[in-house]
Amino acid sequence: MQQYLLSGLLFTPLVAAFIALFLPSHASGTFKLVTLITCVIQVVLLLLMLSVYDSTGGLQFVEQHAWITLDLGSWGILKAEYLVGLDGLSLPLVSLTVGVMLITTLSSWTVEKNVKGYFILLLILNTAIIGTFAALDFLLFYLFFEFMLLPMFFLIGIWGGARREYASVKFFLYTLLGSILILVALIALYISVNDPSVPGRLVHSFNLLHMRDPKNFISNAILDPNNPWMIGPLSARYWAFLLLFIGFAIKLPMVPLHTWLPDAHVEAPTPVSVVLAALLLKIGGYGLLRIAYPIFPEAALYFSWLVALLGVISIVYGALTAMASKDLKRLIAYSSVSHMGFVLLGIASLTIEGVTGAVYQMVSHGIISAMLFLLAGVLYDRTHDRVIDNYSGLAAKMPVFFAAVLVAFFASMGLPGFSGFIAEVMVFLGAFKSGSANGLLHESFAIIATLGLVLGAAYYLWALQRMFFGPFHVKGDAAAIALTDLNNREYSMLVPLAIAALIFGIFPQPLISWINPFAQHFSDAVLTLGKSLTPIH
Amino acid sequence: MAQQWNNQLNDIAGSLSWFIPELILALFLLLLIALALFKTNRTVLLTCCMAGFILSGVGVMATGLSTQATLFGGMTRVDGLASYLKILIDLAGFITCLMSFEKPSTHRAEYFALLMAVVLGGHLLVASTHFLMIFLSLELISLSSYVLAGYSFTKAGSEGSLKYFLFGSVASAVMLYGFSFLYGITGTLDFSSQVFFDQLIAKDVPMVLFAALMVLAGFLYKIAAAPMHPWAPDVYEASPIPVMAFLSVAPKLAGLGVLLKFVLAMNLFGQSSADWQAIVCAVLLLTITIGNFSALRQQNPKRLMAYSSIAQSGFLLVGVAAFLPQGVHFMLFYASVYLIMNFAVFVYLDFFEKKSITSIAGFSGAGKNLTWPSIGLLVGLIALTGLPPTAGFTAKLFIFSALWQSYELSGRALLLWVVVIGLLNTVVSLFYYLRIPYFAFLKSGEPAEKQNNITFQNLLGFILVLLLLTLFFIPGILMGWINKINFVL
Repeated sequence: MQQYLLSGLLFTPLVAAFIALFLPSHASGTFKLVTLITCVIQVVLLLLMLSVYDSTGGLQFVEQHAWITLDLGSWGILKAEYLVGLDGLSLPLVSLTVGVMLITTLSSWTVEKNVKGYFILLLILNTAIIGTFAALDFLLFYLFFEFMLLPMFFLIGIWGGARREYASVKFFLYTLLGSILILVALIALYISVNDPSVPGRLVHSFNLLHMRDPKNFISNAILDPNNPWMIGPLSARYWAFLLLFIGFAIKLPMVPLHTWLPDAHVEAPTPVSVVLAALLLKIGGYGLLRIAYPIFPEAALYFSWLVALLGVISIVYGALTAMASKDLKRLIAYSSVSHMGFVLLGIASLTIEGVTGAVYQMVSHGIISAMLFLLAGVLYDRTHDRVIDNYSGLAAKMPVFFAAVLVAFFASMGLPGFSGFIAEVMVFLGAFKSGSANGLLHESFAIIATLGLVLGAAYYLWALQRMFFGPFHVKGDAAAIALTDLNNREYSMLVPLAIAALIFGIFPQPLISWINPFAQHFSDAVLTLGKSLTPIH
Repeated sequence: MAQQWNNQLNDIAGSLSWFIPELILALFLLLLIALALFKTNRTVLLTCCMAGFILSGVGVMATGLSTQATLFGGMTRVDGLASYLKILIDLAGFITCLMSFEKPSTHRAEYFALLMAVVLGGHLLVASTHFLMIFLSLELISLSSYVLAGYSFTKAGSEGSLKYFLFGSVASAVMLYGFSFLYGITGTLDFSSQVFFDQLIAKDVPMVLFAALMVLAGFLYKIAAAPMHPWAPDVYEASPIPVMAFLSVAPKLAGLGVLLKFVLAMNLFGQSSADWQAIVCAVLLLTITIGNFSALRQQNPKRLMAYSSIAQSGFLLVGVAAFLPQGVHFMLFYASVYLIMNFAVFVYLDFFEKKSITSIAGFSGAGKNLTWPSIGLLVGLIALTGLPPTAGFTAKLFIFSALWQSYELSGRALLLWVVVIGLLNTVVSLFYYLRIPYFAFLKSGEPAEKQNNITFQNLLGFILVLLLLTLFFIPGILMGWINKINFVL
């Protein structure tokens, strides 16, 4: 029973989507209900899983079935499996997904246009995201990874704002470009990796766990760590790492590959923005931690300065652009770029603190960015205007909304007591320690990154000052009347998120106890393996 | 003298038993022409034509994929590769019949007879090992397709048909000229024979490459690959959709089969002084890139699909470029998937054309009222792009894996570039493949009236789309079959 829990969690939305397909499209309420029930079932399943999860137990809830087994004669066997499982990296992210999806469903209650299509796409997206986090077979991962694109394309393109078509196509093309780079690495990897469990035959395996072990590489294959090929100045393994890194960095997104994000966020409807910021961005960091780093540790060590540098640039550039943004959603989008920079910096440090901080930051940003986009949506629902300068003195008119924004902004800028603080502190600890512990990063990276905190405080406080203080003023009379305080549905979405941000800020231990074993194992494995492999470059 | 005749007659008699599928096709061809004399109704003709394709397909399957025999004194050869392509061509003819329930309104019997003739030509072409046989079967395909292309009986149709004819004649003439040189150099027309190899290795002159390139040009014309592709968009646009679907699959696959055999023969197992791998790679990169970038700016779905079919030719050639048996297997898988996805898209385009949606912008709002056909079309286009969860992804994954494997074996940097550029082209192709769904779902427009979506065409499209999804999740059902083919030159 226990071993099927994860598959249950994964496929419940897909089954629900299939059922919803056959419901009459005029009964729009039923689709909301079906989606809500699905999310509640997922929460129950997740709680069941959490109750039996052993934080020191490594991979759990593993389910393995044969999927594609092709005998290709002398060429060997091509083998892809349905292999899923959760560990200290994926469990927090899957939990985040389940929680955010529930809130997204509530937030989607106001959707009126083509309700059936919307909720079916949302359910498919739900399965795809959980599948991406749960898959341990590269082909399966890739399937779910690509499967997110189409629902997202339509969710932005059909239900989005004025420039939705442009934004959705841009989103699709950028992400597809990234996934093609990942595909090249995928092809090179599965051709080079042999599944040792079948003796006597060459089995080209997509299993991510096999790919981590240098012994499983076919000798003289292109990615064989003992005898890697040179392509130009670098060995093929270094190129493969770079391909994966760029592919996932587009998703993260990292400067200078981030330009799709502000457009997608600004044009997407509020619930879709929430999914995009809280969940989809995490797949970039997840991919680095799950695939790029463990499989190519020596390249990861070699390029750690580059990863950290790009992380720091993202932190500072994102913050500066956020400060210059006139649109509230754009400001939040750039703040996401800035915060995801911390994930890169934490991963690059390859210290236990840094990696724990990076994963913590992913969860924390998931919670806080969901809240920020919901709040931006609250304002937009009422006035259909997101330009910061068109508001002033909102604090008096909408006091509860003001309080909520205050919480979200402070949480996002990393004030102690909120989850963002814990995450960023650990990333800084890791980045500072890296120089002395493993000699990967110079301290200056961490020092420049602190600029991000200062700038973060600056753009949030400045936005607060402009929008909420001073005499009350809104552009247009109709807008002034429309400005009412939060309603019950909005409470039900924002309060749990605010509480979560606080809990993870005050009692970080439960979450850390999940992440920490993973972080230990991860940084150990990457460092030892990376140093033991011949550094040809 | 008598003994020699006796031997020849025995050879012919022995060959005939392998030749049953082609005999069936020829018989039905004659039957259709005879039927045209009596004004029979559509159903009879259609049934007759489909029966011909089914019987021929069954005949090919009965001989099996692992058998091998040289027929008619070295004119043709039965082998797994040819048999598999024959089945695909029969299938293409069969689906075209299913698409032709309403069109054409006049000259029906001739229409079906011509379809039959193209399929017969395809059968002969993929089996040919003799230059004269190639020329004959290629002309059988070409002459029939010239007429088929004009079957809309409009001014544009005649123009397209004429254009096809003029381009085609020149390409055939160039090819024939190349044949004559090769014959002069080697003294044989049978390019699978030992004499041909020995002579080519002995007389390694630049003229060989020149002549071979001329022959290649004729084949590239047939599969609509660059630089012999410019006819395709005009011809496709002018022809009725079922004909267009047929022309973009059947002659292409037949041409691909013979191109593969010819290139492998000229490569002389790597002993040729000419770098055939580089030539194929150059052709395929040019084809993919030209096809994709030209498709970007198209406003007409038929022209868009014409350029798409050019680009797909390039992807099919990737299987040839690997120069590995596995590459040929994967190419056959790609060819099968290409057949399914191309027909799926054309079946739906036909459906939309009947709803008088003939421009890409005309699809605006179609997703709202014609939801299911739009979704089916979307899946077909996604498959052509090569995204999961469709077999189009599996096919691309396989075919590029073969090329990657070839890179590992040979270490040629060129192949790596082909992998990278070929895959990056997928991103470009997404841009235009997505244009129709983009208008259908994202743009609001004057939507077509909400109508009953359950028509025969939609059902056919749905089955094809279902196949595309099935082959993604269980590619083994097809790949297992293809792997039985024992490929030898």
